[in-house]
Amino acid sequence: MGSDQTDEELMLAYAGGDLLAFETLYRRHRGTLYRFLMRTLRHRADADELFQDTWSRLIAARERYRPEAKFTTFLLQIAHNLVVDRFRRLKPQASDEETEAVLRNLDAPESDQPERALTEFEQRRRLQIALEELPEEQRVAFLLRIESGLGLDEIGEITGAGRETVKSRLRYALARIRARFAS
Amino acid sequence: MSARDPDDLLRDGGGEIGDLYRRLPRYEPPRRLDRAVLNEAARAVHSGKPPRRQRWIIGVGSAAGLVLAAGLAWRIGHEPMTENEVVAPTAAPRVVPVQPLDESSRRKHEAPTRDAAAAPASEAVPPAAAQPQAAGAASEPTQTKPMRRQRAESRPAPPPMQSEAPPPAAAPPPTAFPADEREQAKDADKSQRADAGIVTQAPGAAAAEKRAATSNAFGRASPTLPSSSVELQRDMQLAPSQWLAHVRDLMQQGRRQQATESLRLFVRTHPDRRVPDDLRELLE
Repeated sequence: MGSDQTDEELMLAYAGGDLLAFETLYRRHRGTLYRFLMRTLRHRADADELFQDTWSRLIAARERYRPEAKFTTFLLQIAHNLVVDRFRRLKPQASDEETEAVLRNLDAPESDQPERALTEFEQRRRLQIALEELPEEQRVAFLLRIESGLGLDEIGEITGAGRETVKSRLRYALARIRARFAS
Repeated sequence: MSARDPDDLLRDGGGEIGDLYRRLPRYEPPRRLDRAVLNEAARAVHSGKPPRRQRWIIGVGSAAGLVLAAGLAWRIGHEPMTENEVVAPTAAPRVVPVQPLDESSRRKHEAPTRDAAAAPASEAVPPAAAQPQAAGAASEPTQTKPMRRQRAESRPAPPPMQSEAPPPAAAPPPTAFPADEREQAKDADKSQRADAGIVTQAPGAAAAEKRAATSNAFGRASPTLPSSSVELQRDMQLAPSQWLAHVRDLMQQGRRQQATESLRLFVRTHPDRRVPDDLRELLE
């Protein structure tokens, strides 16, 4: 049911009481949202909590949803707000943990070996490490682009940053990822 | 990695890095989360009520408002009353005999009776702004004099009734009592008058008094009004930008608790809106 309907139509239908519309919507976006949270927060328990909280808030706000706002933007904006709150709360303790994780990864034996041709496994691993090392804002911009497929303007709308700022964050993110591959 | 520009990322699929990213483990939410979310969505539709968390926040807001209101009332109730504090204006009374009095009792109550009969009429002529409303009720305001409220223990007996009314400027200020205290005092007065078998007020006059009391009490207390669910509901009617401006106003007025409650409700009501950095500290 509802597979040919747009996200916005489904959301409006759910606001009108159509539960099947919500289920379709949920199936479409559960994976993307979860991966965004998982890669942004890097802890499964946090990702689980904010995943549920994001949907709860969306459900609570269903009657205020207006189709002028793209559904994906609406959903990710809720998630991003929660992420920002979480980071603000956890910042002091997260930084230690983060530093240790990065150092552990840097000390991994594979990275000590100068390999010119990286295996695919190694490439994936390095990308994962590079993502974890990115500063929060760059990581969010990167994930919104790559995981959720959003454009500069949409990313700017969600994060509250200007178009050029978003572009610059993506540029820095890319540079850091490249640096990780070059190391 | 050949990607050198964000344009690479902005291509469909995100270029080479996008391809690599998609080969990373694809995390999926666990089943229990699926069940929890779908159950919540179903509950929301079937109950037609906001989800539990939102009701909870409104409940807490209301409770906090009540506690603050009670605290404020208690505090005001313990403040010493100044000489200038007087009863609210009332309208013309009518005389209702309640019980027969013997001669001594009659003499004993004669003066207070006259005072009581005259006072409300004069009280119905508050200075300045309150005058027009009371004009109808007080038919002969020039023949009466405002009577100060008796505070039994500390106040002297009211002065005897005089035939000339003071000019409006000499009239007492409209009110200085908080509404609830004035209500109590009014009740005490009423019972005194009933005991004496003399005076009671017309319903319209009582309503006028209540209106005056309410407006005056709010007029004085507005800077320290406690937050309440009513105010939070009013905030919900505001547009998001106005709401945030209102939260800032509350902060500037030093009403941090209410600003916090209001902002929390804002986040619940508009989860997709970004909370400005200057207000975020309220959420922590």
